[in-house]
Formats: sequence, structure tokens, C-alpha cells
Amino acid sequence: MSFGTKRKKAAVAEPKIRFSWKEAKRQKALLIWSAVILIYGIIFYYLPLGGWLMAFQNYRPIDGLFHSEFVGLQKFQQLFSDATFLRVIRNTLAMGVLNLVVTFVAAIVFAILLNEVRNSFGKKTVQTISYLPHFLSWIIVTGIIHDALSGTGIINELLVNLNIIDQPINFFAHKQYFWPIVAFANVWKETGWNAIIYLAAITSIDPSLYEAASIDGAGRWAKIKNVTLPGIRPTIMILLLMNVGNVLNAGFEIQYLLGNGLVQSVSQTIDIYVLNWGISQGDFSLGTAAGIFKSVVSIVLIVIANQIAKKNGDERLF
Amino acid sequence: MKVKRVTGMLLASALVVSLFTGCGGKSSENEDGIKEFTAFFAVPGAEINDDNEIQQIIAEKTGAKVDETWLTGQTASEAVGTLIAGGEYPDFIDGGDAMGQLYEAGALVPLDEYLDDYPNIKAYYSEEEWNKLRQDDGHIYWIQQFQNIKGEEKATTHNDEAFWIQTRVLEWAGYPEINTLDEYFDLLEDYIAANPTMEDGTENIAYTILCEDWRYYCLENPPQFLAGYPNDGSVIVDPDELKIIDYNTTDTAKRYFQKLNEEYQKGFVDPESFTQTYDEYIAKLSTGRVLGMVDQWWNFAYSVNDSLKQQGLDEKGCSYVPLPITIDEGIKNQWHTSGGALNVGSGLAITTSCEDVEGALQFVDDLLSQDIHNLRFWGEEGVDYEVDENGLFYRTEEQRTQAADTAYKASHLCTYSYFPSYKGTSDDGINANWPDEQPGEFFDSLNSSVQKCFEAYGVKTYVEMLGTNEAPGSWYPMYSFSNAMTTSTPGGVAWTKMGEIKHEYLPRVVMADDFEGEWNTYMKAYDGCDPQSFLDEMQEELDRRMEEAAKFE
Repeated sequence: MSFGTKRKKAAVAEPKIRFSWKEAKRQKALLIWSAVILIYGIIFYYLPLGGWLMAFQNYRPIDGLFHSEFVGLQKFQQLFSDATFLRVIRNTLAMGVLNLVVTFVAAIVFAILLNEVRNSFGKKTVQTISYLPHFLSWIIVTGIIHDALSGTGIINELLVNLNIIDQPINFFAHKQYFWPIVAFANVWKETGWNAIIYLAAITSIDPSLYEAASIDGAGRWAKIKNVTLPGIRPTIMILLLMNVGNVLNAGFEIQYLLGNGLVQSVSQTIDIYVLNWGISQGDFSLGTAAGIFKSVVSIVLIVIANQIAKKNGDERLF
Repeated sequence: MKVKRVTGMLLASALVVSLFTGCGGKSSENEDGIKEFTAFFAVPGAEINDDNEIQQIIAEKTGAKVDETWLTGQTASEAVGTLIAGGEYPDFIDGGDAMGQLYEAGALVPLDEYLDDYPNIKAYYSEEEWNKLRQDDGHIYWIQQFQNIKGEEKATTHNDEAFWIQTRVLEWAGYPEINTLDEYFDLLEDYIAANPTMEDGTENIAYTILCEDWRYYCLENPPQFLAGYPNDGSVIVDPDELKIIDYNTTDTAKRYFQKLNEEYQKGFVDPESFTQTYDEYIAKLSTGRVLGMVDQWWNFAYSVNDSLKQQGLDEKGCSYVPLPITIDEGIKNQWHTSGGALNVGSGLAITTSCEDVEGALQFVDDLLSQDIHNLRFWGEEGVDYEVDENGLFYRTEEQRTQAADTAYKASHLCTYSYFPSYKGTSDDGINANWPDEQPGEFFDSLNSSVQKCFEAYGVKTYVEMLGTNEAPGSWYPMYSFSNAMTTSTPGGVAWTKMGEIKHEYLPRVVMADDFEGEWNTYMKAYDGCDPQSFLDEMQEELDRRMEEAAKFE
């Protein structure tokens, strides 16, 4: 019943595509619109890649892209001999993986729990409320978090009044709290939203499977384990793959807005590094080099993840 | 069928064309024949309403108006870097700390060849001062718009950095002489011990420190002042030997941070100091619960004073006055320097995107004429100020309150504050160019608690609380050079890295349980940034400036 097998069958039966003018004329509208999308893609995704040239130059805005001096890989050398850059890679990877795991698990668990709620009014209310934070911008979310975690904020107040701690904890002054705070913020903001797609996948599971399971004497727990989870497995795999490619996009706004001097050694991500050196310090070449590094690593990650999925016979991207 | 096909193609091509034209040209003249310019200032500022009344009056008189935008939520270099990356600029720009980047990107129009045609602008600086504004290619690109004093100086407000203290603390202690760092903190400790809370039960905070991003000077640069040097900003200049001294590593610096560390351990330094944002800091000061801090007047006073006034807290002694603090007794403090420091590192510039450079300069020239200048800072006669029989300007209590009202500021007042302006005395020889420097007007506008404090110390102005000093030499201030440094030189890279290290370690040093250990770690990390290459470039610049100045002697 899973999508995986279906797709494989389709692949075998795929007919050979023959191109003919007659066919092209028949699909004129489709071709024109595809062309528009193609042009859009070229202009906005491929032409800007020309800017990658900067990474191999000593780019100066006054000379422009075509008259700046070429320096080969010097900027990359500079990048990798900079201890700060190595640290931001570590931070980005750590926060990326932490965010991925935590938000991923939270969304699946939340979707399954919500699916088990029988009262449809309660279910809808919870679902609506839970995905609302997704529409808040990070600046607002970080404001709320900053307030909640401040010395007089609700979290410290609770902890002190419950006698768990004697003194309010200054959460943003200690490095060990920063990554968990970021992960928590991501969970709070995105869980409800991410759960929607799993809920949709769950609804598309054939109800007769649940009936069959009931007849076999399965309880709720067994049904979740043997029907729901296998049913949404393809969805999980696809989203996991896409998210692996996004691991290095561990975030920019949240670290930028929540970070401060004290925790900068764990809070800065590659994106912040690019902003600091590329835009603020005006070293566009160094910023571009860091950006290229990030893209290349992302592509490698996604290819590896895809290959693993392929080997295991799971759903995959390409 | 054919028609359909043609329309389809037209549509498609229109779509493609529209993709290329994201940013169109701008109209520079509106229907009334008034030229409209755009300006961006890389500092936070308040936008005024589109139908602002005085802006309209100025537009009618000069034939031009400027739509100003300010920094929001970014640092100056980020905002300017984004502009450079985009390659499109507003007509006027002040890039603040990032001015050097604009120059390097070739975004600015050289102004020197135009200067002779605009008498007001030309007269704004002396030949020597214009010369200081020249960049390494020999051209002048920007006009520094502040601290220019016309006629007699009338400084009343200490618009600079100081150790500030609330008047209620001084009043409680019977207005003692406070001259050293130890005395300052002893007083704060005693006051807190006797008055742990405010009248409404809010806990008092003895001392807070703002450390957010570039504003961490509140923590970082007091060592130069404590040692009795003026605000060169990034280094100390030995005035006799003309040698650059690094204030980060001096004994004074270590003693200052050790003192902060002690106070932090004793619980007198606000534990949120190192994590608070600028907004949180201003909100905290506005509640009146913070007894003291180091800051620049312009960074906190305008918003905080208005807010204290609205709550009536100013009369309860929550307003701040500066104290002449040094590290030891007997050092002459130089918190305040007179004569206006020419910050050659930034200013108002015209960009290559401006299509009417002459018109833009004409507008700047007009803004400097006395009647427009009065409109900018005093307002409309009969509405914002009155004139007595001797020609002296004054404001009624009502007009003063009105001028402090945010909504009124946005709808009526238009100071074009980041265009060149004069302090000091007006052309008529009797009035101050700014209302807050008008004798009489200034003292009357203070709240009773500050008045009482000034009377107790036998002074009349904020400046007299500290005493005043001549500018130390023609190099002053060195920060105009370090602020404009970019990472294209080893010294600039070192400067950036030193900043990063200090941002991280200074808070740690203050919070450390083991001060000595943490200080040594900090010093080791600091040395790793190669500060010497930065100091060498500063020394070179100091020598260059002294050579330039010698030409005019």
C-alpha cells in the first residue's frame, strides 16, 4: 500500500517519450508556462550564481565583477585558517542537527497524538492554536523568549517559586543554554505547522487497515505502531531528506537576535559570519567564499542522504 | 486566434521585462516644483510625518525637501554594506562608522570643486578643517555636521560620556564630592543599603552596563577617561610624546574591571547587564530604578528624560547628572572637551546616485542660513518660541512641554538633524542657536531636583559638573580614524578581532569568580589579535595628522 512500491511499478512501465511537433502544438499552453518558469529560474537562481566569481577575486565594489583582481583560492585559504570560521561551522552543524532532530520528532509525535484525539472540536482548536506561532516573525518570537527567560521572566519566576533554584538563572549569559534555547524556540514556533503535513498523510491511510487491525485485536498503541507510522513513513523520509539539505541553514534571525557578546562563540552561524565579514566589513569575497562552502556542503549532504535512502529502498528525492 | 497569440506573447514579454525592472527611476521634482531628495542616516532616528509643517515651510523657502530614513534594527555597517552590494544609493547619506566603505566603493561625489559656489557651506569650516576632511586621494567627500560652534560657545549639556548618577542619590548623601571610582561605588552601595526599593516598591538597581553590539563602549572605554585622558575613543594619545597608548592593557583598565568584578560579586552590578538589548536598557532606565551607569548623554537622555518626565519621576530625583570620576584622587578629568571635536570619520555626503548635485548642495547651503537654522531648531516664531523686547528668544512652559511631545515633534518640528548645523551663538549675537543652550531658558527647563543639585554644587550647567578642557591637540579625536578602518589593512583586521574578543571577554572578566585567572586568559586572547598592527596604524595616522596640522601653523 505504501507509495514506494507504487512508484517503482510506475517507473518500470514508463513509456518512451517521443517528441513531435504535433504533440508540442497540442501542449502549447503548457510549454509556454514552463518556459516562463524556466526563465524565472534562470534569472533568479542561476544568473546570481555568476556572483560566485567574487570568491576567487579580491572583489572591490568600485572595480566591479569584471575588473577585480583574481586571487584564486586565497580567500578560501583565509577562510579555513580563521579559527572563528571553524567555530561557526561547528555551531551551525550542532544547531542544525539539534533543530532537525528535535523539531522532526516533536512534529511527528504531535501529529500522532492529535490524530488520536476523538473530540473533533478539541482537535481542531488545538491544531489551529498550535500552528499560529508559525506566522509570527522571529523578531517577535525572540522578543517573547527574551522576556520569558529574563531574570524577572516567567520561567525564572516559576523555577524560583517552585524552589527548584534559589537565584534566577541568567539564561543568556551561559553558553550551555544557548543551543537548547534555540532548539526549543524552533519547536515552539514550528511544531504545529510541521505537524499539518503528517496529519494530512495520516488521513490518507486506508481506514480498512485500522478496521483490520482492530479485528486482529490491536489496541491504540499497536495501531499507531503498525498502521499509522508505516503509513506515513514515505512522508517522513521525504521530509527528512529535504531537511538534511537544510541542516546548514540552522538559522540566522534567531541566533542574530538572541545572541550577545558573552555567548558569541556558540551563537554565531555561517550566515551571521557572512553578514559580518561580507556585508558589514565589506569583504564581499570572503563572504561569498563562506556562502559557496555552505552550498557545497549542503549539496553533498543531500546526495549522501539520498543515496542511503535509495539503498534502503525508501522514498527518495532523485 | 492570431490576436490571442500576439497578446500571449506580449504578456509573456511584459512579464520578462518586469522582472528586470525591480527598481525604477525616481522623480526628483514634485508637482509644486519642489525638489525632492532622499537621505539615509546610519543611526537610529525618529521619522517625521509626510505633511510635517516646518518641513513644508522650509520646502517653500528653499524649493527642496528631503525624505529622511534612519537605521532600524541593523548596525550601520550592515545597512551600508547592503546598499553597496545593491549599488543604489539615496541622494544624501551619512554612513556613520561605515563611511570608509562608501568611499572605497566609489559611491560618493567629491565635493571640493563645488565648495566655492556655496558660501554658507564654504564658511562652515576653516581651510585647515576642510583639509582634515580630505581623504587619501586628496578630495573632500563629506561634511561633518556636528560640533561646529559659531560665535561664542554656549555649552550647557554634557552631550558626551560620563559616570551618571541619579540626583536622589546625591541628595540623600548631602551632595558629597565624588571624584574617584571607589567613592562612586561606595555611595551607590550605601544608598542601596538604606533604600533597597523605590517608593512604589520596585527594587533599585545600583549600576547597569549596556553591552549591546557597538554600544559596548559603556563597558569598554572608561579606562581612558579614568586615567585622565579625553575621548580619543579607541586609544590614548600621550600629549607630550605624541605616542599612541593602548588603554585596554593599562593598570587603570585592570583596576577598573577588577572594581566592576568586585561589585558584580557583591551583587551591585545588574546581572542582566551583559545580555540586555538597547531597548531593554532604555526601558530599565525609564522606570527610574537604575541609580548609575556609564553612557553617552545622546544615547540615553532624549528618550529616558521624556519618559521620566511623563511619569513625574524627574521631580523625585530620578534624573541623571554626570560626576567627574577618575581612578585616583588628583587626576584632572577630561570627560568634557570644549571647542567641538571635529570627527573627520563621517559626515553628510552626496552619492553618485544623486542626479542633481548642485541642487542638493544648494539645499545644504540654505539650511545653514540663519533664518532656516532658527526654523530647524527653535521652530516657528509665535508658535514654538517668543521674542522679548530685547530680541531674546524664550519659550513658555507650554511651548517647552509641547516641544518634548513625540507626536508634536513628528507633525510639526523638522530639524534635519543630520544635516550640518551650528551650535554656539546666532548671527544676531545674542541668541543661542539651540534652545537648550539659551541661558536662562536652559536652567528654567530643568526639573527642580536637578536645579537643587546644581545649586548645591554651585554650578549652572551639566558641563560645569565636570569642568571643561580645551581639545588636547590637532589630532583629536583619533576615533574618527579607527571608526573608518576597514578590513583591507592588517590593522583594520586586528581592530575587528580585538572588538570580537573584548565583546566576549570583558563581560566574562566582570562576572568571573577568579578575576586574576580570567584577566590573564583575556590578555592572552587579546594578544592573539595582533593589537600591535592596529596601534602602529594609529601611530602613523597620528603622525600624519600632526604633519598636516603643522602646515597651518
